[in-house]
Amino acid sequence: MEQIFALPYEWWKEAVIVWLIISVIIYLVVAVPGLYFVMKYRYKPGEREIGDHDFESHAGLEAVFVVIPTLIVLFLATYSFSIFKKMRTVPDNAMTIKVTSFMWGWQFDYLDEKGNVIKSVLTGYNPNDYTLSEEEKPVIPAGKPIKVLLTSMDVIHSFYVQPARITEDAVPGRITYLWFQINKPGEYYVFCREYCGTGHSHMFSILKVVPPEQFTAWLYGNNAVAIKSETNKEVAQ
Amino acid sequence: MREAIHVEKPYFLASLREWLFTTDHKKIGILYFTVSYVFFLVAGLFGMGVRLEQAQPGMQVVSYDTYNYFLTGHGVVMLLWWAIAAHIGGFGNFLLPLMIGARDLAFPRLNALSWWMFFGASVLVLLTLIPGNQIKMMWTGYPPFSSNPDAGVTALYVFVIHLLGASSIATAVNFIVTYLKMRAPGVTFWKTNMYVHTLIAANVIQLIGVPSLAGAVTMLLLDTYFGTNFFNPAKGGDPLLYQNVFWFYSHPVVYVQVLPIFGFFSEIVPVFARRPLFGYHTMVFAVWGIVALSFIVWIHHMFVSGVPNWIRVLMSYTTLLIAVPTGIKIFNWMLTLYKGAIQLRSQMLYMLGGIFMFLIGGLTGIPNAMVAIDLGISDSLFVVGHFHYVLGMAVTLGILGAIIHWFPLATGKFYPENLGKISFWVIFAGANIFYFFQMVVGMLGNPRRYPDYPPIPEWAALHMIQTIGALILGVGIIIFTWGMIKGLISGEKAPQNPWKSPSLEWRLPVPAPAHNFGDEPPKIEKDWHPYRFDKLEEGNK
Ligand SMILES: [Cu+2]
Ligand SMILES: [Cu+2]
Repeated sequence: MEQIFALPYEWWKEAVIVWLIISVIIYLVVAVPGLYFVMKYRYKPGEREIGDHDFESHAGLEAVFVVIPTLIVLFLATYSFSIFKKMRTVPDNAMTIKVTSFMWGWQFDYLDEKGNVIKSVLTGYNPNDYTLSEEEKPVIPAGKPIKVLLTSMDVIHSFYVQPARITEDAVPGRITYLWFQINKPGEYYVFCREYCGTGHSHMFSILKVVPPEQFTAWLYGNNAVAIKSETNKEVAQ
Repeated sequence: MREAIHVEKPYFLASLREWLFTTDHKKIGILYFTVSYVFFLVAGLFGMGVRLEQAQPGMQVVSYDTYNYFLTGHGVVMLLWWAIAAHIGGFGNFLLPLMIGARDLAFPRLNALSWWMFFGASVLVLLTLIPGNQIKMMWTGYPPFSSNPDAGVTALYVFVIHLLGASSIATAVNFIVTYLKMRAPGVTFWKTNMYVHTLIAANVIQLIGVPSLAGAVTMLLLDTYFGTNFFNPAKGGDPLLYQNVFWFYSHPVVYVQVLPIFGFFSEIVPVFARRPLFGYHTMVFAVWGIVALSFIVWIHHMFVSGVPNWIRVLMSYTTLLIAVPTGIKIFNWMLTLYKGAIQLRSQMLYMLGGIFMFLIGGLTGIPNAMVAIDLGISDSLFVVGHFHYVLGMAVTLGILGAIIHWFPLATGKFYPENLGKISFWVIFAGANIFYFFQMVVGMLGNPRRYPDYPPIPEWAALHMIQTIGALILGVGIIIFTWGMIKGLISGEKAPQNPWKSPSLEWRLPVPAPAHNFGDEPPKIEKDWHPYRFDKLEEGNK
């Protein structure tokens, strides 16, 4: 598991590769003969002025055009289903964060097993660039599955964890979910991908992925970060 | 013999009064097309504004709000004016009666009403150019955002959709009845041009689907201005209701936009391969198969919207199944080339280019349909690149090629062949550079509808390449447009049936006379078929 960078990114990447290989094959099967026919069967005055009029249909060939694509498509759909199932099944050891979206930012509430808020982080709206102050960055432990519960206070937003390649919309009046896991510590982007107005393209956050011990210290540390976020929470609501 | 002289008069030689009050399908077709083409150019400029803003990270060209207005306008106008009205209102009106040997549509005055409603919607859209009237909710207009003041004038959006919708329903009824009732004797179902098959299929979709969209935007209007709560979760409504009702129509509308383009491919490729369309019968079945499937796939637009997992999987299957009938069409076009006598005239280049774009667009549609991949690319620029291959370029190349092909019938003159070829290669190169790299940056994670993006060097480079592609594409469109103007003014005079096609519209003198075939429907021989070139009289083969 050492090499795996993030989930579901690994599975997603595998599915993309499968799609790419099949697509390139289909592309060649169609485009190469097509190009060859265009080169070969040219109009020549006096010699080749009219095309063949006998071969206008072929039951066997046309049946092949139906059966083979159907098989490919059923394979792709079923394969995608098997991966989708993994993507949407939250591992038992996942840690839950509740994310509330608003125009244009997010509040991250870290929940304990009983659903009580341990700590909150607020990412506000920064229309100028793509940087955030340290206390605005949600922190998560590396190598641990994170379940995100999503909702919105105003319009529909979404939550896209770029390194994990996973999205889910945040819909007012509903609670939706996604889960992901990042194994390599570092800072990563989260974007809103559902159009939400003027600040849409600056509705982002920066996930800080840290080793688990450091995360625990951050979560339970009675530091200034936690206190400041609590006050911000009231402002946002 | 005054009658005969009257019949020979080209349809466009008419007074301004006649043009204003016309119920003639050809004039109405030209009116539709002219407005759509002008709107296409304007929406192209909007798109260029969007593209230039994204060329580099940071905001250089327009403000966030102007960007959002440009993008909304680009989407609405390209989809509803260019990709529907230009070839259904424009070409459909002009060609349908001619291809089936009819004198006009079944209800010419209803047709005039369609056109004037469409014109009204066009005026409403122009009103958004006035500052303060802008619509900034994207073409999809999702609530609750679209009820928010930041979205701009919601009512304008709703009325535009309503007017266009009413116009489309009237057109759909008109076209379907015309096809059922007004074919010349001898034009049977299995001797109908593919373009007519696809046009009728598209209008059946319109008839079934438009009321659904009208319902969605009506609820939006009531919610925004009259205090109802269809989409307000605080009072028991649900914003996803809108998305369901909206996409129930707005997925099938993709086939309204693209099926008649398949019709163009199927008309023009045989003519320049001098060979019947391969697999004509399966092609017709494929068209109707697409129509049926198109209404049970809409959740693929909502794969990440929070709907239950099972429906995502189900509609992932149905969506992927659409690849089967669409695949059949591509195979059939390719086999139409086999053993042909191929002339690469400019409109043939446009068709082959369009099929190529459609092939890429189809293959890049697969990951959007595979729900597991879509969770990672939904609402990214990958989706945007993908649908610009299909709706953007396959449709545009199809329409531009069709303009060249039927130019003599509409004007009596040829579109300049050299400008046709040059514009094709410029557009084709520009579009591929643009949209291919748009898909790449989308795969890397760049969200769509983003005027600004983080200064990641890779993303910035990919956006710069796209912008260069877009500029090349723009130059190509200018060359093409110049060709149209030049052809109109000083194009070479075309003879009757310049492409030697057995299709009925070419039995008319060029330009088409005011009353089409006159009082008698054209006499159709028993062995006639729109794709049998060996049955053309000597000298026309
Ligand atoms: Cu948002
Ligand atoms: Cu769709």
